[in-house]
Amino acid sequence: MSFSKVRKEYYGYLFIAPFIIGFLLFGLYPVYNTFALSFTNTTIMSSGAEFIGFKNFERLFADKFFWTAIKNTWLIWILNFIPQVGIALLLSVWFTSTRLRIKAVGVWRAIFFLPNLLVPAAVAALFFSLFGFYGPVNQFMVRAGFLEEAMHFLQNKTVARGLVVFIQWWMWFGQTIIILMAGMTSIPISLYEAAMVDGATATQMFRRITMPLLKPIMIYIFVTSLVGGMQMFDIPFLLTDGRGGPGNAILTNNIHMYLKFASSKGHIGAASTVGVVVFIMTCIAALGIFYFLREKDSSGYDKSIRKLLPGKKSER
Amino acid sequence: MRIFIYAVLIILLIVTIVPIWLLIVNATRSTSEIQQGISILPSTHLLDNYDILLGRGLNMVRGFSNSLFVAVASTIITVYFSLLTAYGIVVYKFKGKQLFSNFIVVLVLIPMQLSIIGFYQYMSKLGLTDNYASLILPLIANAGAVFFGKQYLESIVIHDLIDAARIDGASELGIFHRVMMPIAAPGAATMAIFAFVASWNNFFNAFILISSLDKYTLPMLIRTLSGDVYRTEYGAIYLGLAITIVPIIIIYAIFSRYIVSGIAMGAVKE
Repeated sequence: MSFSKVRKEYYGYLFIAPFIIGFLLFGLYPVYNTFALSFTNTTIMSSGAEFIGFKNFERLFADKFFWTAIKNTWLIWILNFIPQVGIALLLSVWFTSTRLRIKAVGVWRAIFFLPNLLVPAAVAALFFSLFGFYGPVNQFMVRAGFLEEAMHFLQNKTVARGLVVFIQWWMWFGQTIIILMAGMTSIPISLYEAAMVDGATATQMFRRITMPLLKPIMIYIFVTSLVGGMQMFDIPFLLTDGRGGPGNAILTNNIHMYLKFASSKGHIGAASTVGVVVFIMTCIAALGIFYFLREKDSSGYDKSIRKLLPGKKSER
Repeated sequence: MRIFIYAVLIILLIVTIVPIWLLIVNATRSTSEIQQGISILPSTHLLDNYDILLGRGLNMVRGFSNSLFVAVASTIITVYFSLLTAYGIVVYKFKGKQLFSNFIVVLVLIPMQLSIIGFYQYMSKLGLTDNYASLILPLIANAGAVFFGKQYLESIVIHDLIDAARIDGASELGIFHRVMMPIAAPGAATMAIFAFVASWNNFFNAFILISSLDKYTLPMLIRTLSGDVYRTEYGAIYLGLAITIVPIIIIYAIFSRYIVSGIAMGAVKE
């Protein structure tokens, strides 16, 4: 018997070995390589590269495009994230409410989720066509009398940025609904029943029961959205000229990194530096969210909820 | 209150559907029809648009088969290796198991795409740029899929069945293949759909790593499509976009139940 136990442990390592080897080769080494390259002046063409210390970083921090890209990326992400979570929260509450009994919840939810699966590159090109000078949006606006004549929407900085925000929202709010609803339906109904006996209102129950118990799910949504948002590329890249135009309004971190990479000399070293800085910034922001929300978690509401929990888990 | 809610839902429904619907309708309309105005009904120029689309040197058929090849290979690699890893975590007890589990979760949240430049240079040293291997092989270590697989296997693994198979003399890997795989088929299917869609939609990595035109995948061809060659051929452009998007819509129409429950499962820890 003890022989088989030893054998079993050894098999555990064997089963995870391909993952670990794959991760070392295709995950960890590229990260290390990106960091290493960021301290060199490597280009695509040249064979020899020199170690140049922090020069790439100094140049990057002095580059106004870098700061524009950082600002744009955060702005676009925040402007899309707030309505995304807001609307998703509202709809999730409606969909899971036993009082409202909304019909065909599954169908609504399935339709709202659809844009999330569509090829982002095609979505960007689609909106490029819809908002083109001869596109349907202009036709509609002019005929309905909202505009006197057709307008170059995508040459307007505010419109272009707003459109990226809208597309991001359009593609992600359905997914957020699904995740929030999964979280809400896993909260024991008995908690709400107990609160109702005590005369709690719907708003009170939402604030005192739903929100605190949803916190882990909210952290998950927050962090995954942030990590995705900081790497935004396909939509802003293909919506306009591929350089973040008009007037760098939708120049994001990854477009900036790509432009350095695709420059005539192919500055791999400088492009890596962008990757490294954004990588570090994203990790710090993600950790910050964990830390910030965890702190609050251990005080306040949570304890009062925990008192209610034991013994009532099985009821749904 | 209920009327207000349904009104909001219908507005959101329109916002969600209209762009996609316009895309599909315009793919069937001629360029002059599109210029004349908006229609919510399809027209009859689908085949004309198809001829124009193929007649300008853009090989959509090739792009489609390239995308399909990469997506199928990526799916097989992802499902097999992620289930293998997840099975290792769920079934065996070993030192560092909890650490490894936590590590997977951390990996899911790390912005790996930002190491693409280092990845590119490394692949080019190995001679693997402009090669689909550079898109497919990294999926051996697909943390998101392993996390999903672990969540799924934890809810279905039957240890008695594994012990019974051991008594019958089956090897550990044999048990994974012949006992576990059939039981885990629904979870594997869900994982497969996600892996397929992720690969089908992938633009950034392919765009950086693949350079020859005959290896372009569909998302890469879209860039050419919305460029100069087709500037005024609106019908053909919409059709080209529809060809990349409609397969996904069909997959979703068939498997939406799996997809929706899969999304929920990836996020909620039981």
